[in-house]
Amino acid sequence: MGLIRDAIFIGVLQASPLVLAAIGFTLIYYLNGFINFAYGETITFGAYFALLFNVSLGLGFYLSLIPATLLCGLLSVATYLYIFRPAIRKGVGPSELIILSVGLSFMLRYGLVLFTGAENAFLNEPPIDYYRMIGVGATNVQLLALVLMAVIVFNLYWLIYRTGFGEVVRALANNEELARVSGIDPHKVSVRVWFIAGCVGGLAGMFTGVFALVNPLMGWNLILITVMVSIVAGVGSVRGALIASVAAGILTAAITLVTKPLYAEVILLSVFILVLWSRRRRVA
Amino acid sequence: MAYLIFSLSLLLVYVGLAILLHVQFGLVGIPNFGVVGFWGLGMYAVGVFQVQFDLSFVDAMVLSILLSGLLSYVLGRLLLRCDQQAILCGTLAFSVIVALLVISEKWLTEGVVGLGTIRYPVRVGDLTEPFYFLFLLLLIGLLQYSVLKLHVSHYARVLIAIRDNEELAASLGKDTFRIKLVVFTLTCTLMGVIGGLSAPLNQFLTPNMIVPGITFAVWISLALGGKEHALGATIGVFATFGLFDILIETYLPVTPELAVVVPNLKLFVYGAVLVGVLMYRPRGLLPQQFLPPDRLVRQIDERAMKARSAVASAARSARDRAKAWRL
Amino acid sequence: MAAVKLSVRNLSKSYTLHPVLDVKELSFGDHGLEGLIGPNGAGKSTLLGLLTRRIAPTTGEIDFETEERTYSLGECLAHDVARLGLIKTNQRIQNFDSLTIRDSLRLAAVSPARETLRSIFRGDQTDAAVEAEIDSYLAEFPFSDPDGYANSGGEKKLLDILRCLIARPRMLLMDEPTAGLPDDLTQKVMSHVTKKVDAGEMTVVIVEHDLELIWSYCAYVHFLSEGELLFHGPPDKVKENRTVAEKYMGL
Repeated sequence: MGLIRDAIFIGVLQASPLVLAAIGFTLIYYLNGFINFAYGETITFGAYFALLFNVSLGLGFYLSLIPATLLCGLLSVATYLYIFRPAIRKGVGPSELIILSVGLSFMLRYGLVLFTGAENAFLNEPPIDYYRMIGVGATNVQLLALVLMAVIVFNLYWLIYRTGFGEVVRALANNEELARVSGIDPHKVSVRVWFIAGCVGGLAGMFTGVFALVNPLMGWNLILITVMVSIVAGVGSVRGALIASVAAGILTAAITLVTKPLYAEVILLSVFILVLWSRRRRVA
Repeated sequence: MAYLIFSLSLLLVYVGLAILLHVQFGLVGIPNFGVVGFWGLGMYAVGVFQVQFDLSFVDAMVLSILLSGLLSYVLGRLLLRCDQQAILCGTLAFSVIVALLVISEKWLTEGVVGLGTIRYPVRVGDLTEPFYFLFLLLLIGLLQYSVLKLHVSHYARVLIAIRDNEELAASLGKDTFRIKLVVFTLTCTLMGVIGGLSAPLNQFLTPNMIVPGITFAVWISLALGGKEHALGATIGVFATFGLFDILIETYLPVTPELAVVVPNLKLFVYGAVLVGVLMYRPRGLLPQQFLPPDRLVRQIDERAMKARSAVASAARSARDRAKAWRL
Repeated sequence: MAAVKLSVRNLSKSYTLHPVLDVKELSFGDHGLEGLIGPNGAGKSTLLGLLTRRIAPTTGEIDFETEERTYSLGECLAHDVARLGLIKTNQRIQNFDSLTIRDSLRLAAVSPARETLRSIFRGDQTDAAVEAEIDSYLAEFPFSDPDGYANSGGEKKLLDILRCLIARPRMLLMDEPTAGLPDDLTQKVMSHVTKKVDAGEMTVVIVEHDLELIWSYCAYVHFLSEGELLFHGPPDKVKENRTVAEKYMGL
């Protein structure tokens, strides 16, 4: 019983950046229908932008979240405007778009390494207090992050499922022609979605960074699980991504508590392959 | 000299992987993003069987082939009925699983400490490495020859048909799943064989040899060279690995502080090239696809005719101009 | 030669409880060239998809009877059906965009038994008989660049039909062959098909909206409406039938 409680608690705490990343990734996946591996670099850049404001410029951690988040949104929009939109317009196929995104991901990652080096870096955490609740411990940063992320996730959820903008996005993802005819400007909507997705991805990177450390590979490490979670959730289901990422977090925590953390990832990836298999094309 | 032999052997390894990926993605349309997984599996299998179980190279190789054959078959069965995105993610997941297990199963692989030393199958004194290089050259040459032959066979036509329109191919009586499974299993197993052959080259195996960067390097070679052309993969490896890892890293005088930057710069440039190629020249340096001989001859004739008529019309206009000038 | 018969019992297909097709009994193959007509959305294409195992039925049995034995198509996959000689042309344009016209036809003509891994290392693989057959088809049906690729939608449609013909079907199902094909080509295709049917090389089922074509070529006509087979008989009887007139011809 204790194991389950611990797993759920640790899982939810640790999964929170994953939840953010998965929702952001899912938005793009939903709208444009391709897997964007370069989204991992949005996550990495989020942590590095925070590092810039937090460590280099000496801003407080929470304060530096704001400009770093906005910069990530702009970065994401730039990749859309200068890489993906022209490519889609040129008729690059969905598989090739994925490969293109991997190319972009390598370009951004190693471009970053050329500037910052590949060493680990650390964000200046706010002073740490340690709380014990219902038998498990957590730091104030973790709890605050959890609350903050719950607020963000709730807002995103509201945006997608309860507002006019969400309706427009869903209309556009389902049938671009029809949406265009009914007076929606696909370009404007896409830019906004990529901006929001970028902001969310950046935040995911910042929280991953403050929980552990910052390095150029962090986004790549997170993107794999993010892609898995989004695909398992079903194309473009924000609700599904939310549930699947929390489930992945809890599962990881549970397996980690029982055996080595490496096995958690192995088991998760194997489950992922089996899920893909279960969705194979039914043969008549 | 010894280093050059090593680099050239490594070049052959990449050529082999890229040719196999060409068959998978360029011909049948299976986007295998786990190249490093199959390669690393073969390599570590040979290493583990040789070092931990004290088997001879040949015995280790046979076991390694059986292992990669079995796993490729199982993975193919699981994934090949899915769409391309799923195949891409599934194979990527497989390669990450292999890398993680190599780190975690220390009792087999020695984990991050590294596994060694792997012996060459035959030692010929100081000439071991050059001889091994020639052996690799022969094998990769054979592979390239087979793929060239494949391109003019009945088999290639079916593979291309499956890539273009699988359902239509099935409606003409082609067992598309079986063909894909056969090709996937065979080529992935061969990636494992190339991995096994790379084990003695590297001598000492560490987990940071099986990183996604290798898959990526193979993909960029193929995209750059031309994924549909029989020679695209080879040309692409020469243009990437050959240019960067051999010419620049070996022969360009780089200062020590620059030498730290070069590998990162290389991956940055690889990324940029891949983006550029996909956007501006999606078919690569050798854009041509499978051309049957009759079509090829016709095309050459047409070009010759066009050139001839261009020359004739240029001569005519020159004559006209000369005439007009004289009048 | 080709005495094949395709018979269907209680065949139905529904998508999430919404029934699309429910055919109690139906048989093709007794009359050489048969037609299948019905209003839009009657389930004609679904029926052909079910018969060739492109779509899995919800319930029902399909038997394909040849002179050797009777095959139950429920156990077959799409390619098995094609290998038995039951082949369908496509309503919407389907093409192999990177194969030339000749290669496309070779693909259809060469049997799967010869397309093996071992064939890679066999020497010259051109088959004189296949090449001659391709030449005769290309002489009969004009393409703007017979050694190149099919360019227009019409050429792709024609190529689709030729691919099916060269695959030597025992029963050919034609899903709206005239859609997208110029009139003169339609006539050419139909007279070619009729010749083969008269020679006993194959039987044919045509789904068509062009009723003139149905009346002039078909010996027997089936009428499908709202997923059910409502009437079947010789063309004259079908023309006179009240239900057909009401439901389809708007009379």
